[in-house]
Amino acid sequence: MDVSQYLEIFLDETREHLQNLNTEILNLEQDPENEDTVNEIFRAAHSLKGMAGTMGYKRMQTLTHDMENVFSEVRNGTIKIKSHMIDILFQCLDALEEYTTNIQENSDEGTNDNEALIKLLNDCLKPDGAQEETPAPESTAGKPAAAASGGSKWSSIPLDEAQKLVLGEAVKQGKKVYGITVKVQESCILKAARAFLVFKAVEELGEILVSAPSAQDIEDEKFELDFSIIVITDSPLDRVLADIKSVSEIEEAEGAEMTESSPAAEKAEKSKEKSVPAKTETAKASGAENAPAAKTGAAKQEKKSNTKAVGNRTVRVDIEKLDVLMNLVSELIIAKNSLVSATTTQEGRESNAAVDSQIEYLENVTTSLHESVMKVRMVPIESVVNKFPRMIRDLSKKLDKKMDLQMTGEETELDRTVVDEIGDPLMHLLRNSADHGLESAEVRAERGKPEVGSIFLNAYQDGNNVIIEVGDDGNGIDVENVKNKAIERGTVTPEQALNMTDKEIIDLLFLPSFSTAKEVTDVSGRGVGLDVVKSKIETLGGEVEVKTQLGEGSTWIIRLPLTLAIIQALMVEVGGEKYAISLNSVTTLENIAPSDVKLVQSEEVIHLRGSVIPLIRLNEVLDIESTRKENENMIVAIVKKGDKLAGLVVDKLMGQQEIVIKSLGKFVDKTRIISGATILGDGEVALILDANVLI
Amino acid sequence: MEELKNNGGAKQFIVIRVGEEQYGIDIKYVDNIIHMCSITRVPKVALYVKGVINVRGEVIPVMDIRTKMGLMEAEYTKNTRIVIVKSEQQGFVGLIVDAVKEVVTLEVDGIEKVSYDNKSGKTMFVTGVGKHQGSLISVLDLNEILTE
Repeated sequence: MDVSQYLEIFLDETREHLQNLNTEILNLEQDPENEDTVNEIFRAAHSLKGMAGTMGYKRMQTLTHDMENVFSEVRNGTIKIKSHMIDILFQCLDALEEYTTNIQENSDEGTNDNEALIKLLNDCLKPDGAQEETPAPESTAGKPAAAASGGSKWSSIPLDEAQKLVLGEAVKQGKKVYGITVKVQESCILKAARAFLVFKAVEELGEILVSAPSAQDIEDEKFELDFSIIVITDSPLDRVLADIKSVSEIEEAEGAEMTESSPAAEKAEKSKEKSVPAKTETAKASGAENAPAAKTGAAKQEKKSNTKAVGNRTVRVDIEKLDVLMNLVSELIIAKNSLVSATTTQEGRESNAAVDSQIEYLENVTTSLHESVMKVRMVPIESVVNKFPRMIRDLSKKLDKKMDLQMTGEETELDRTVVDEIGDPLMHLLRNSADHGLESAEVRAERGKPEVGSIFLNAYQDGNNVIIEVGDDGNGIDVENVKNKAIERGTVTPEQALNMTDKEIIDLLFLPSFSTAKEVTDVSGRGVGLDVVKSKIETLGGEVEVKTQLGEGSTWIIRLPLTLAIIQALMVEVGGEKYAISLNSVTTLENIAPSDVKLVQSEEVIHLRGSVIPLIRLNEVLDIESTRKENENMIVAIVKKGDKLAGLVVDKLMGQQEIVIKSLGKFVDKTRIISGATILGDGEVALILDANVLI
Repeated sequence: MEELKNNGGAKQFIVIRVGEEQYGIDIKYVDNIIHMCSITRVPKVALYVKGVINVRGEVIPVMDIRTKMGLMEAEYTKNTRIVIVKSEQQGFVGLIVDAVKEVVTLEVDGIEKVSYDNKSGKTMFVTGVGKHQGSLISVLDLNEILTE
């Protein structure tokens, strides 16, 4: 079978499963007894095995198979999770990761058999000491059919009160209830699809009350070769079974009529109509006590099963297709802007209310369209930050420091392109925190800090920005140290250093090849790093700054724009030319008399509500004559970057506009104050000023 | 066979006029030729970069080929055109030329190489000279024109 067309899906899903395994095994390390975690791991390993097998990656299949074996034993309670097992499991995940990378690069899993690992895994399987207990997770108490199953799996389906009630009701209405176990052929590849067809066939005849595993799990192929269902229908059992068997690749379907109370007993005297009224009586009686509760429960259950069917409908879309869509939306917005300017610039035109209202409507539509497309492109940063707990765990062992990573806001969403790029910078900052930030255990004890160092990553949305803070409660940045290093390296002269503020000195860290680590370690300290972090974040249109307190820790604050392509901008005129300034950075607009401009250290500043704000005359920055007369009042846009403010002097305000950011092209990319260009409604190009660079 | 070889050895060029001279631009680099339009100045760039223009929704930088070649700036006339070329390194770039004349086919064999140690700087932008109906056409070295 040619499976190459599934390769991408396979890679995507493998990554997801691996990430899932990483997370769950970390959980397991914290809580080795957690049954849910073990089950989740087992399922993920099992799906991986199945996928690798289907795609013909034998080595990957073997390894996952052995992992699955271990978990199967853990699940059965024959062996217990030990810390060395966790290490082995992590090694397995790394090996799987390697296979996946190989497959992605040359569609071949490579030749590493990982025999040593497999042996280690198999060693884990050897029971150590006597088994203390043999819990059987499948047969929990309270399941009506547990005792009398007699080999039919359907009879062990657990039923809750609400379902029992529904069952009782159905029987009362003269419907039949069958328990059916369906077995698919071992060679079947699309088990979930077959199961779906079975469900569909059955649903034509009646209603599926419950299934084991759950419908969701079956849909995700989280089942072995068989699954069981309980069906409420008017049709005879033979008909139902025949319909199920008519689905191809179904090996067997067996079933029997049942009632809610005792399927086994019912099985013995099955299809005896007489017994039905009696059974319903009991059902009614037992249900009557907690009728209101059970009823709402039943309603809930029904609702739940309904939403389950539609809840998870997703489509995987190539990001390039979304890019095309985004570009088209951009074009549409430009066209809309032209329309707006065409209707407003006609002189002496009689205003046409119908046109105006339609344009307004068009504006609403394009704005919503833009928002929707942006939303489609948004993904939670979860996919990136999820790998960090594992990384910190490994670092902790490697550096022999105790540390703990706390993350919040993993659900914060960012544009897909940003999320793809933000992983490396974040990883770098975390490594920095682990390596340089956190002190050794002795120093921490001396300073009275808790033994376990804490590293944190907080993400949250702030207006049109997303903020990601990465930090630690470690040593903080030693400003003197940085200063000395800078002088030593000749980055600054001692005289310069004397006049620099702490912040300016800390900013030196972002210069290329500036590492203050006393010794180079494996983890960080090679001098490539913070400058790369900074430039990466800047290419994403964001910025990074650091807050630090010597002895108490440091926090790196990354500010990223929510959207990349379309922004709200303040349009201004300088020397007859039109420029756009991102509205994000503009705080207020001021009217300043020329006499209010003061000189501080031969720099022009203005006093505004108690703060001194440096003035930047845009016409000077842009090499152009201002059209403003000497004695006229100045229009000043106050812009903000972090805590810093600056006033940009412009000639004229043109208003606020939604603009589409276009790249200037490499040829004229050299000017950092211009971050891009946009096309105005009249087809002219206006440049976008980057206020962050000006400040 | 003979014919195939001939076709392989011939190239089409867009002939442009800069001052009194004729230059040929290999047609495979030419994306579009447009009339002079309003150019948005970009501050703090090289003198020969006149700014950026909007071509079918894309922002494209334009340079004045005269300034780049070290010639006097000339006033833009109704003949002035912007030739949009696409280079691998720079993407789309517009070249302001005095006029666009025609498309000619030149035999590659008939294009004579120019020696580079000429004292006039502008030959630096030319890879060879071809003849067409009695007039000379200098073949422009686009990569050289587009590097800063």
